[in-house]
Amino acid sequence: MRMSETEKELVAMVLSGRTEAFEPLVTPYRRPLLALAYRLTRNREEALEVAQEALLRAYRSLARYDVSRSFKNWLFQIAANEARDRFRKRRREKAALENAARTERPVAGPEAGRERREIRSDILQCLPVLSPHEREVFVMRDFEELSIKETARALGCSSISVRVNLSSARRKLREAIRDNFPHLEETR
Amino acid sequence: MTCRKAKKLMPLYSGNDLRPRLTAAVRTHVDSCPACWKELAEYRESLSRLKAAAKAETVPDWSEGEWRALAARFKPAVAANKRSAFLARPRWAAASVLGIFLGLAALAMLFKDGNLGPRETSAAAEPSVVSLTLVSQETGLQIVWFLDKNFEWKGDEN
Repeated sequence: MRMSETEKELVAMVLSGRTEAFEPLVTPYRRPLLALAYRLTRNREEALEVAQEALLRAYRSLARYDVSRSFKNWLFQIAANEARDRFRKRRREKAALENAARTERPVAGPEAGRERREIRSDILQCLPVLSPHEREVFVMRDFEELSIKETARALGCSSISVRVNLSSARRKLREAIRDNFPHLEETR
Repeated sequence: MTCRKAKKLMPLYSGNDLRPRLTAAVRTHVDSCPACWKELAEYRESLSRLKAAAKAETVPDWSEGEWRALAARFKPAVAANKRSAFLARPRWAAASVLGIFLGLAALAMLFKDGNLGPRETSAAAEPSVVSLTLVSQETGLQIVWFLDKNFEWKGDEN
């Protein structure tokens, strides 16, 4: 989706110093951006932080925006980068915590069984079986319905990489659904 | 095409993400292979369930307060955009280029006439050249014009 003339005008206004034009420029994308961040993080607070930081980054980098590109996809690209950075940071922190608490692992109680059943009730809870890059590709292509080329551009990788990760993501999800939702397989 | 190759390509084929040549090859194979057809149906089913779940999922939205707080943060970053904002102003850019051009033309004329020799710069001599410096408060751009002391054009008299 190319940038509309109105959006081009709003970008020019912001770049000429009329910063109040930035809000109407991004308002149509505020919900899709937060939804993308939520699908990548599966956590509302974290998604909000990702979307906020993405919009602030977009504001600071607007002079580098190529108006021949889709503005929405550009925002998605920034949000995906932000989510990836946060995931890496969280993984490092988690690894450090696990090292510290390795000897104090609690035994799973009856609550854990109920929690597992609740998780199984939501098919989207299968998404964590994907690696971060697989999840980005899958969310962009299958949930946000970007083309392979647009997904590659948004994630800063090649179309081949998108296809490889998309194939792997769909395979893993199919297996996860088959394992965790056998009743769905039976009803087909 | 073998079943092994078709199964390898199945995830992409199920979402219409294969190149046309491979798509045709997989379609031909699947149409004649019940096992692969069953696997394709599973892929399509899981994909369509995931898409439907994503569409039905209640995704969070901004509260008005969260959005207002963020919108207020768009303003302090103005300084970062200042340089690009200046470049985006065509009138300013045109005026700057014109000023630089006039300054260079005046300098070239003065050097051609030899009016900038060291004798004129001594303290006793009356200055025959007057310089006029224009400084932009916004950008710091300086334009220096050198003029005859009577502000008269002498270029054609020699």
